[in-house]
Amino acid sequence: MGTRFELILADQADPGRLRSVGERAIEEIRWCHERFNRYSPSSFVSFLRHSKQGHRVPVDRDTFNLLRLARDICLASDGAFDPSGGRGMSDLDLDEDLSTVTSRRPGVVLDFGGIAKGFALDLAASVLREHGVESAFLHGGTSSAIGIGTPPGKAGWRVTLGGPRSNWSVLLMDEALSVSAAWEDNPNPTRDPRTRTIIPCPRRVAVVGPIATLADAWSTAALVHGERPSGLGSEWYVCFA
Amino acid sequence: MSGTSRRAFLADAAGALAGISLLPRTISMAPIRLAEPVRVGLVGVGRQGRAIITELQKLPDVTIGAVCDTSTSRLSAAQARAPGSRAVEDFRAVLDMEDIPGVIVASPTHLHREIVEAAIAAGRHVYCEAPLAATVEDCLAIATAAAGTSLVLHAGFQARSNPVYQRAHPLVQTELRDIISMGGHFHHKTSWRFPTVDPGMERNANWRLDPEVSSGLVGEVGSHQVDVALWYRENLPVTALGTGGVRFHRDGRVVPDTVHVDLRWPDGTSFHYDATLANSYGGRYEVFHGSNGAIKLADTHGWLFKEVDAPTQGWEVYATRQQFFQDEGIILIADATKLAAQGRLKDGIGLPYPPLYYALADFLRSVTEGTPVACSASDGARSSIVGILANQAVLSGSAVSISIPE
Repeated sequence: MGTRFELILADQADPGRLRSVGERAIEEIRWCHERFNRYSPSSFVSFLRHSKQGHRVPVDRDTFNLLRLARDICLASDGAFDPSGGRGMSDLDLDEDLSTVTSRRPGVVLDFGGIAKGFALDLAASVLREHGVESAFLHGGTSSAIGIGTPPGKAGWRVTLGGPRSNWSVLLMDEALSVSAAWEDNPNPTRDPRTRTIIPCPRRVAVVGPIATLADAWSTAALVHGERPSGLGSEWYVCFA
Repeated sequence: MSGTSRRAFLADAAGALAGISLLPRTISMAPIRLAEPVRVGLVGVGRQGRAIITELQKLPDVTIGAVCDTSTSRLSAAQARAPGSRAVEDFRAVLDMEDIPGVIVASPTHLHREIVEAAIAAGRHVYCEAPLAATVEDCLAIATAAAGTSLVLHAGFQARSNPVYQRAHPLVQTELRDIISMGGHFHHKTSWRFPTVDPGMERNANWRLDPEVSSGLVGEVGSHQVDVALWYRENLPVTALGTGGVRFHRDGRVVPDTVHVDLRWPDGTSFHYDATLANSYGGRYEVFHGSNGAIKLADTHGWLFKEVDAPTQGWEVYATRQQFFQDEGIILIADATKLAAQGRLKDGIGLPYPPLYYALADFLRSVTEGTPVACSASDGARSSIVGILANQAVLSGSAVSISIPE
């Protein structure tokens, strides 16, 4: 995913056990990187691109869930979030019973850049919770984050959006945050996948809610829309900064 | 001859001169196809089992028919990763499935023997993760069981199937001239401890840290790297010397987190092995030093470093190079002949798939097509035993003689 991930485990527990739990969580992040890295020839994304039209590609449940979420948010956001870059997630048939994905056209290229970091954080957080970690903060590239519980003696994990135009901050407690931005002089400017037009900039949006995968995808959609997406549920907080 | 065609000719010749044409298969991003579909069962679905599932799912002709583990949490996670597979807690249930001709054994090392022997007795082909076992006796028993059958038993020393290592194999003989020394390096900062949800499973999950059953760093990891030396040298070292200790992870463990081993051959050459769980610098690699140069191998990549007085081959003009401080390495490219003919030599740098993928594909080709086993049980047993004896040298701090009955 081309960025740095960091985990802070603040439990008052055996440091050796915490380290091993953290290593286990990082394995999930590494797995996501290998799975969804479109530049890696052995990733799932490359495998799908090279699979034959109509060939059923078996996928694990985690990958299937991500594909289904991506397709659903693509629909709910009117295509503002679209890993296929506007070419249509509808070209993919997802068979839940068989846990397969089938492409109706050859050479499907998916870019999970707008969702994979959040997904990786959710998987890592689930490992931490499964092993009893009650206080932790995780982030990927500082643009996606999860706060588990609270830091010792604090009300939540405080995250501040830096920069000259904002000092907005939020307290995360069992919540996720994702920030998407379009800025001037970006050599690879963010585009609206529906029209291929460049997103007006500078524009920055933060989305806070219960799941990092969704926060990641919806922040991308909100950036494209330039306003709170109508498909986003009321439990989500959106802030343009 | 035009400039362009001359370049093409020389690039093509590069492959031939370097013995690249000896490679058995084309290195391609396209998935490896088998002669026929095959179902497999996977016994042991911990960390390595997960990696195996991921790679098997990249082989279009393979179906994972069953997953097996004694841990219910790992088992349910594995079934989610391999949808459609049957989940069972007893490996014998996998062997009872008539539609599964091959099993992949990825259980803890000290449990391999019972599963492998039962699988062979049940008429199943076996891919057994390496090292084959944690004791000399168990290694020999597995090799004996395999010797008495026509079934495939593939030992999971992945270098034998790795196209980069296959590419380097003849070069060690032709380019390095006299082997001066060899080395292996494994630096990875990690606890080697596996957290469990169920405290009762803590010891089972952390068998690598259990001195009763663990062959330590040099046995569990080093045997893979030692195997490269044994494969290239085609003979065994005669002595192992070692030291080691717990240098960093002082959490009550007694299995060393840092080891240094010397394996000595009858001709005086040695394989020096350094491994630690306290530092990541340098990662994992093997290196072969000769009087004409050195070859460094690091899983998916390999380099040839030539001495200035070594003969220069014509193809080197067009070879792809990489700078390492004051040294310049020629990148070893698998299947370079074909790529050079297509003018795509640089596309061959590195491997498109992890080494595990090629090892599993080799096993399944042996099963479905009858191709020779890339790493036989006897080869696997030898490398496993050398790792076990090297671990004994580390623990005892004294020299251990290496002698393996045929």
